[in-house]
Amino acid sequence: MKIKINRTGLLCFWVLMVLYGLAIFADFICPYAYQDENRDFSYCPPTAVEFQDQGRWVRPFVYGRALTFNAIHRRVYVIDHTQKYPLHFLKGGRLFGVDAPGRFYLWGADARGRDLFSRIWYGARISLSIGLLGVGISFILGLLIGGIAGYYGGWVDNILMRVCEMFMMIPGFYLMLALRAAVPENFNSVQVYISVVVILSLIGWASLARIIRGMALSLRERDFVLAAKTLGVPDIVIIFKHILPQTISFSCATLMLTVSSYILAEAGLSVVGLGIQDPIPSWGNLLSDAMGIVPVIFAPWILLPGLFIFIAVVCFNVIGDSLRDAFDPMFNEKG
Amino acid sequence: MNTLLSIKDLTVAVDEKVLVNQVSFDVPQGKIVAIAGGSGSGKTTIGLSVLRLLPSALQIRQGSIVFEGQDLLKLSSEKMRDCRGARVGMVFQEPLSTFDPLFTIGQQIDEVLAAHTKLSKQERYKKVLETLSEVELPDPLRAYKSFPHQLSGGMRQRAMVAQAIVCNPSLIIADEPTSSLDVTLQVKIMELFIRLKKKNISILLIAHDLGMIAHLADEVVILRQGEIVEKGPVERVYKQPEHGYTKELIEAFQ
Repeated sequence: MKIKINRTGLLCFWVLMVLYGLAIFADFICPYAYQDENRDFSYCPPTAVEFQDQGRWVRPFVYGRALTFNAIHRRVYVIDHTQKYPLHFLKGGRLFGVDAPGRFYLWGADARGRDLFSRIWYGARISLSIGLLGVGISFILGLLIGGIAGYYGGWVDNILMRVCEMFMMIPGFYLMLALRAAVPENFNSVQVYISVVVILSLIGWASLARIIRGMALSLRERDFVLAAKTLGVPDIVIIFKHILPQTISFSCATLMLTVSSYILAEAGLSVVGLGIQDPIPSWGNLLSDAMGIVPVIFAPWILLPGLFIFIAVVCFNVIGDSLRDAFDPMFNEKG
Repeated sequence: MNTLLSIKDLTVAVDEKVLVNQVSFDVPQGKIVAIAGGSGSGKTTIGLSVLRLLPSALQIRQGSIVFEGQDLLKLSSEKMRDCRGARVGMVFQEPLSTFDPLFTIGQQIDEVLAAHTKLSKQERYKKVLETLSEVELPDPLRAYKSFPHQLSGGMRQRAMVAQAIVCNPSLIIADEPTSSLDVTLQVKIMELFIRLKKKNISILLIAHDLGMIAHLADEVVILRQGEIVEKGPVERVYKQPEHGYTKELIEAFQ
């Protein structure tokens, strides 16, 4: 079985691979650890890399900066041309960086003087994995419950679908808040992470289960299911081998679309302060720094995590769409 | 002559409408018994009743189906499932839709063996290939690896017969097994059934093609609107039909 994905889909796939790669190798790529702060550089703007010193090409370096306040008590970082910090590469297990007391902020700093570039890639670990894990769990639940409900029908179907509806009737975000409220406050970051994953997957499985159930209802009437029954193949084998694989084109496309909605949901939770807690970064809680108008005006770079949420969501959606297209001709061929 | 399958007073109904009314007949061991009749006469319903796989709306109201000394209607659903495929195989009319398009022929035959036997993977593989050559598929290895749509209609039908006999059942229910094939292929499949019969496998043949029945079957049961109008040895029924409907059928066929 060959699946051909169109070019846009392929491009998005590689963009995502780059994002995941950067997240995985964040320890190497980022110049600072995610919790490495320096209050002297609060909202320090992106540092320019200099290649020329008095008209001569030299090894790249950055100038030092000094924090001053202007007449209206606004932070102004004055470039100190006497201080030069050469960029060094592959030192101390990091791809690039400068020696203390110099600071290198490729994409600016946040309120506590933490490097946004580093925090974005450490945050990507959380944001990009939470969607995948959540989708993994809700897909297992959705396929299993939808498959069983559709295949058996009758009272099994009735009970399972009423349970689904109980999850679906509460607006998603409020259900998320309610579930989050049920999680103990004293959880450590790993426990919070797991609970966010579980919360996300509890919300998403129901709608998937309903659609899979509908497909299973029609698939179980197909001749090959009857044939498998006449040959004494156990029900569970029929569900897993003959019903669920038939839904693969739909499932794959939905899987991708759901990942993006989970990334958004995690961001939503974190923006309102209920997701991953500071100092551990996620794209959502990085963006929560940009809730006030003042920081956005004076330090617009703190909106950058939003751009990455946007990129990731668009990529997953486009891949989902192109997967659906890719599966389509196969279905036509089968008639 | 041992009786392998004995159906007595079988009545199947949807709500008030009776589809099969008090049907009784026997299938002796190693014989081919045909059920003939027009569309909607309840032929297929009887076949599915034997396997207890009727659509949920259809209910067996009364009667017994004794197979190898056991009343199938009284078996637990697990026992019944063990019986399907292992003791009774089924062959359908349209082999393209009765194979799952996502798996190879070999995988799907293997699945039946895996459900009913404790053979190892290699033993199953060998057995599947043996069975595929037993139904005279020209290239069993290729058929094993083919997806259903890659085989021709005749080959698919053979593969389905292979799937039905892979567990060495004593009875095969063949529901219009040749209707979707052209005449030359029909003859081949009929030859295949005759060979199965020689191996002491009984066949319950569901068909409307009286020519095929004359060629294949030992006994015939003529159904009309769910009731048996006539039954007996094929030659007798064809030569001296007792019932007007049988006469009509035979005349229409000639």
